[in-house]
Amino acid sequence: MELIDLTLVWVGIIGLGVFMYVLMDGFDLGVGILFPFAPNDDARDEMMNSVAPVWDGNETWLILGGAGLLAAFPLIYAVFLPALYIGVFLLLAGLIFRGIAFEFRFKAKAARHWWDRSFFIGSTLASFAQGAVVGAYIQGFNVVNFQYVGGPFDWLTPFTVMTGLGVVTGYALLGVTWTILKTEGTTQAWAYRLAPWLLLGVFAFFVIVSIWTPLASERAAQRWFDKIDWIWAFPAATVATGYWIHTQLKKRAEALPFVGSLVLFALFYIGLLITQWPLAVPPDHTFWDAASDSGSQLFLLIGVLFLIPIILTYTAWTYWVFRGKVKAGAGYAGH
Amino acid sequence: MREGMIHMTSWTEAIFNSSLPYRFAHMALASFITGGFVVAGVSAYYLLKGRHPNTSKKALKMCVLLLAVTTPLQLVVGDLHGLNSFENQPMKVAAMEGHWETKQGAPLILFAIPDAANETNHFEIGIPYLGSLILTHSMDGEVPGLLEVPREDRPPVGPVFWSFRIMVGLGILFIGLSLLSAYLLWRGRLYESPKVLRALSWMIPMPFVAVLAGWFVTEIGRQPWIIHGLLRASEGVTPSLSGGMALSTLIGYVAVYAVVFAAGLHYLRIVIGKGPVDTGEQAGLDPVARPKRPWSAISHDEPQPQQ
Repeated sequence: MELIDLTLVWVGIIGLGVFMYVLMDGFDLGVGILFPFAPNDDARDEMMNSVAPVWDGNETWLILGGAGLLAAFPLIYAVFLPALYIGVFLLLAGLIFRGIAFEFRFKAKAARHWWDRSFFIGSTLASFAQGAVVGAYIQGFNVVNFQYVGGPFDWLTPFTVMTGLGVVTGYALLGVTWTILKTEGTTQAWAYRLAPWLLLGVFAFFVIVSIWTPLASERAAQRWFDKIDWIWAFPAATVATGYWIHTQLKKRAEALPFVGSLVLFALFYIGLLITQWPLAVPPDHTFWDAASDSGSQLFLLIGVLFLIPIILTYTAWTYWVFRGKVKAGAGYAGH
Repeated sequence: MREGMIHMTSWTEAIFNSSLPYRFAHMALASFITGGFVVAGVSAYYLLKGRHPNTSKKALKMCVLLLAVTTPLQLVVGDLHGLNSFENQPMKVAAMEGHWETKQGAPLILFAIPDAANETNHFEIGIPYLGSLILTHSMDGEVPGLLEVPREDRPPVGPVFWSFRIMVGLGILFIGLSLLSAYLLWRGRLYESPKVLRALSWMIPMPFVAVLAGWFVTEIGRQPWIIHGLLRASEGVTPSLSGGMALSTLIGYVAVYAVVFAAGLHYLRIVIGKGPVDTGEQAGLDPVARPKRPWSAISHDEPQPQQ
């Protein structure tokens, strides 16, 4: 057991799971957030069809992350879930309503606009709740003797509302660049018009969070303003990526704006980890405090080592099968 | 137990525990039976209405054969599962059977109104010795009763007792109807027996009721323990969780599922009302309609949503 630090391995696994989830469910939630703003009903059909084959596969990562936390980091699970009890309920309710919209929207006639609404509200609510979770993680939890002792709405503060809205905007950017990649004609033209504004919005939130976080948390301020010089490479890269996405949008590139948005999210994610490391349950508990015993970690690791390649393979396969453009009523051009 | 916290000693023992094979088989069979009765019921309904006769006959035949095997098998597996619970969770079985006192040669109680306050049954009708015979496979085997453990260690008797009777009663009904249908099928008269077809179509919701009753038995019967003999459910509650919070999300989940199920049933009804398409048409189904929406296979006689 001493040869490898299993806790670190598990930080990597959960980190990968959360990251994959944010990137992949991010864009399909983003499509839902943009739904009511689409130019017409054909565009809505195209947008929904573009994510229909992949959205629930994307959510696999949420389950992997959740189950992994329970088994490998019981303390995180035992603090986050009670602390975010109402938020997690809203997240799940949102995911349920947007999930059934995929099934029922195409069956409904008179009630179709209800499922449009269900898709939009569910996606937005779920995205907001995820952003609020990130905010709550930065903010920290009131923990005594390994138990959450705060109130039911401690997670809902101006700061977490702001991170929630930030994630909604970020997912909308992922969704709009995905729409550029997967559609043509009117829908794509609409997405090209909308994308720069969302990019601007994302950067506004980036600036606000970057200023607010060190002001609100001494720990974050110390991390960023103490002696480490290379740390500034990441915000610099973020700004450069934003500029690059902007030029690609101007050039009417189809795939690169989406790629750029993914890179942008990766940089935000790294920034968050730099700020928080090595804390799992701020302000006091590190990942090592939060870990389960090595027997459990090892047992689960064996299972996960089989699972992750399988998930990655079928995910890649699905994206390959449904590559190319989606057209109204006609399915995939590349298929 | 370490430092006041409960830790797992062995994952393999926890997962591959002695009740796993029975629970797994019991639930898997229950799923087959549920699916079987739904498809059989819809096919029987079509036959009664004279719609889609070829598809419906084929589907009904397959389901009746499946059910004629799975429903009696479920009785055997259920019995084995019960024996396993009898060994590991005797109080659950005592509540299922309505046994208060430990007895040799215990009766099989068919009907009773268990009275937890007075620790007795009212209006009890039972078959002598059969309880012992089923649980211990011996006429005068000893069957422990609920009085063996203090009041606070007993599960709520009424819900467990009644859920168990609903589940077993429905199970026996399933066996009877499945075997009758199989017999008629063998004699070539099933498709022309409106009474049996009507009974089959009425049977659609019943397996769901039986499955839920089964969950009631096992989950209420396991009380008051969250880890049997080690940790009570009341000790496992999150300290920061207030009753109001739990109630609000409970109401929330009930509301969410009420909407989802109501809409789902509504669209299922439309789907069943439309009936299946011929297989020829299905081959030409547009690929975009398929991936996540099996139901879209049925909507070919209506305008496509995209147009």
